[in-house]
Amino acid sequence: MKRKLLVALIAAASLLIFSGAAMAHHGVAGYDMTKTITVHGTVTKFDWSNPHVVVYLDAKSDSGEMQHWTIEFASPVHMVRAGWSKNSMKTGDDIVIDTHPSRNGAPVGISSTITFILKVVVNGQALPGRSE
Amino acid sequence: MRIRMAVLIAALGATLAFSSNLPAQSAPASAGGKPQQPGLMSGGVPDLSGIWDPDFHGPEGIRLNTWDSSDPFAKHPEQAPMTPWAAEKFKDVRPPFGAMQTFNDTNDPVQRYCDPPGVPRIYMYPWEIRFIQTPKTVFILYEYTKVWREIDLDRDHPKDPDISWMGDSIGKYEGDTFVIDTIGLSDKTWLDQAGHPHSDALHVIERFRRLDHDRLELAVTIDDPKAYTKTFSAAKVYKLTTAPMGETLCAYSEMKEFQENVVDKTQTPPSK
Repeated sequence: MKRKLLVALIAAASLLIFSGAAMAHHGVAGYDMTKTITVHGTVTKFDWSNPHVVVYLDAKSDSGEMQHWTIEFASPVHMVRAGWSKNSMKTGDDIVIDTHPSRNGAPVGISSTITFILKVVVNGQALPGRSE
Repeated sequence: MRIRMAVLIAALGATLAFSSNLPAQSAPASAGGKPQQPGLMSGGVPDLSGIWDPDFHGPEGIRLNTWDSSDPFAKHPEQAPMTPWAAEKFKDVRPPFGAMQTFNDTNDPVQRYCDPPGVPRIYMYPWEIRFIQTPKTVFILYEYTKVWREIDLDRDHPKDPDISWMGDSIGKYEGDTFVIDTIGLSDKTWLDQAGHPHSDALHVIERFRRLDHDRLELAVTIDDPKAYTKTFSAAKVYKLTTAPMGETLCAYSEMKEFQENVVDKTQTPPSK
């Protein structure tokens, strides 16, 4: 019981921290920032533009169903300062990406804000990250 | 109109060229060394030249959602010292940050319409700023939306200034601090990320002071007797950077595409 309470408190604290300190132009209330999942798929589009860099990828769910994922990052300027570029990935690349999923269960996630970049591996190469 | 624009562009170009002759500010203090004393320009005024990045990763890397230091993250935005006029306006706000935040249903004019955030909200965005100091005018360039302000050092405010997004700003040096006084601000903007309103009687005071070679403090004081029952203030820290300013324009077409492709997909499905 105590452990459950501790986990709940940590989760609540994390939510408060990230909801107040993360994004550039919008909050993160649409995402479950206490949960991180790994998605393995193929890049269908890498959109390097404002307000946020976005990668679109196709990945099979655990049940074998193909899902079309949309995952956002920080702005291009902030990603450049973290070591990324418009060539960090391209359509057809194999991608393994950690993300905080949307709260409603849709295949949408957030993998970077101005304060962190989750693990992203493209064609076996890890892109620059930043711990939360 | 074209002549005025040409003069303005020429003036900015000249000041940019002039800035390259200012003392070097882009090189941070030596790693591990003691902070250097902030530099002074000829005339003894504080040297603010260079590019400054909001500090989100250091110990002072606090993100502000309000200008009230007693509630910087807007955990209790309803407790701001609002007048009944402001409290009524605040009821309609659906902000993207703070305790009242919403993700997909915000009516934030910046997020929804790419409205200019105005002064002082522009400092709540995590992008760089750059100072260009000349004897009579200080220019501040903002990476976010690539806007700039002209702070005149040798005049007073007009008696009846036009209302604008960035207001009418005058400045002066007080010892090691550059003080900016701004009025004439449009009440279309929000004061902060929590959506607190302000009136066109808003009076903003910005105080920039170098804490050491690499850190610049900005303290903002809000004075708006029509909207708030008392003045309040908060401070944040910028760090000197060598990262060149990039392009962070708010293009409505890009904002709309992001809203549709990302934000709208996170909406809670209707209950069955």
